[in-house]
Amino acid sequence: MPEFELVTPATPDEAIATLRASAPGDVAVLAGGTDLAGDLDQGRVAPRRVLSLRRLPWRTLDWNGESLTIGSTLPLRTLELDADLARRLPGLYAAVRAVGSVTVRHRATIGGNLGRAAPASDLVPMLLALDAEVELLGPDGLRTITVDRLVRASRETALGPAELIRAVRIPEARPSAYLWQRVRPFHDISHMAVAVAFSPSRRSWRVAVAGFPPRPLLVPEAESALAGTRPDLVSVERAAEAVGRHAPIVADRRASEEYRRRLVRPLLRRAVAAAGGGGA
Amino acid sequence: MTAGPLSLTVNGRSRRLEAVPYSERLLDTLRLRLGLKGTKEGCRSGGCGACSVLVDDRSTLSCLTLAHEVEGSSVTTIEGVAEDPVGARVRDAFEAAGAVQCGYCTPGFVMALTGLLKEEGRSRPFSELLEDLGGNLCRCTGYAAIVRAAAALREGDE
Repeated sequence: MPEFELVTPATPDEAIATLRASAPGDVAVLAGGTDLAGDLDQGRVAPRRVLSLRRLPWRTLDWNGESLTIGSTLPLRTLELDADLARRLPGLYAAVRAVGSVTVRHRATIGGNLGRAAPASDLVPMLLALDAEVELLGPDGLRTITVDRLVRASRETALGPAELIRAVRIPEARPSAYLWQRVRPFHDISHMAVAVAFSPSRRSWRVAVAGFPPRPLLVPEAESALAGTRPDLVSVERAAEAVGRHAPIVADRRASEEYRRRLVRPLLRRAVAAAGGGGA
Repeated sequence: MTAGPLSLTVNGRSRRLEAVPYSERLLDTLRLRLGLKGTKEGCRSGGCGACSVLVDDRSTLSCLTLAHEVEGSSVTTIEGVAEDPVGARVRDAFEAAGAVQCGYCTPGFVMALTGLLKEEGRSRPFSELLEDLGGNLCRCTGYAAIVRAAAALREGDE
């Protein structure tokens, strides 16, 4: 593996200054490192400098009424074991448990998962369905954008060259579910995944699909097919058809387009049922 | 500068290492620098769990972890696991259940299970405990005995 310098700033300002002082491509940001490590090992990236976020004070988790703010460097296992997560955001709990194994999740972080923007990310579709926002810290201070705007394509985000993800904010607790299909549960990434959530404040559903390139995405046409807190089987069927019509599902070397399309209906039906709706 | 000094506590003993490359994996620090070869290298890509160790009591894949990222932490490997009361119980349960065939995956399983049992205040169904061991692979098809060892430990809890 090529050698690099490791920079471990103790403050966010120093971290931003390090990014500003580095040419893009010369620096890689390290959160938990479980994804970056492979790229470094295989030589897919060869940065001169690695910026570690481990000393930054961002390993936080704050419930504020119904909203949850998760610091970007909080290990996923710590998030998973939060006493309220499984009850208040069951879909996010399931999505977190879908990431790697416990040994991965003790180091992997929510900020790393978003910043690395893997096309088969388990967290991105659930965060889309939860209308999550991301706090970005850069040279000009803080800005907030939606996860939908942050994740642009496979391995591509809207992060500026000197910006870091500071936190992820989920506006409200929602009945929600995340279901996936893969070959071996703890070793593979999803062939197809469905995230659903019902917003009590907006009285409407969110549906996101994932597992295929270039990125997880919301399917608004499926959302409008699901009406009320307990959509019946007919409306779930319409929502599944809408996913089939509007989501740009494609084949890659992991699964065919046809197989992925066939997975939509059962995953969506079970997800809506698990999130408290009808069907199943 | 692509290397620097590294201070760690390994199996209860403070170690200060000089000129450790920043690119070095904790796995290689343990095996090649400290000679602790009980920690195994399997896939080196986070898929098999053979390299699991405890970092501040959290089960961690040493193949995906830069050694400098755990600077100042307390690392426990299979060589030191029996000094921990929970770790000693796990080791004994594996022995009693015959949960070892070729033995290559065993250190990783023992460390991963020790880490799970040390998580505070966790009461969970046995099925979830087994799911949480899902990151560790055994290719001798020795899972039944490993599950028996885990079940015996669970009975000991109750």
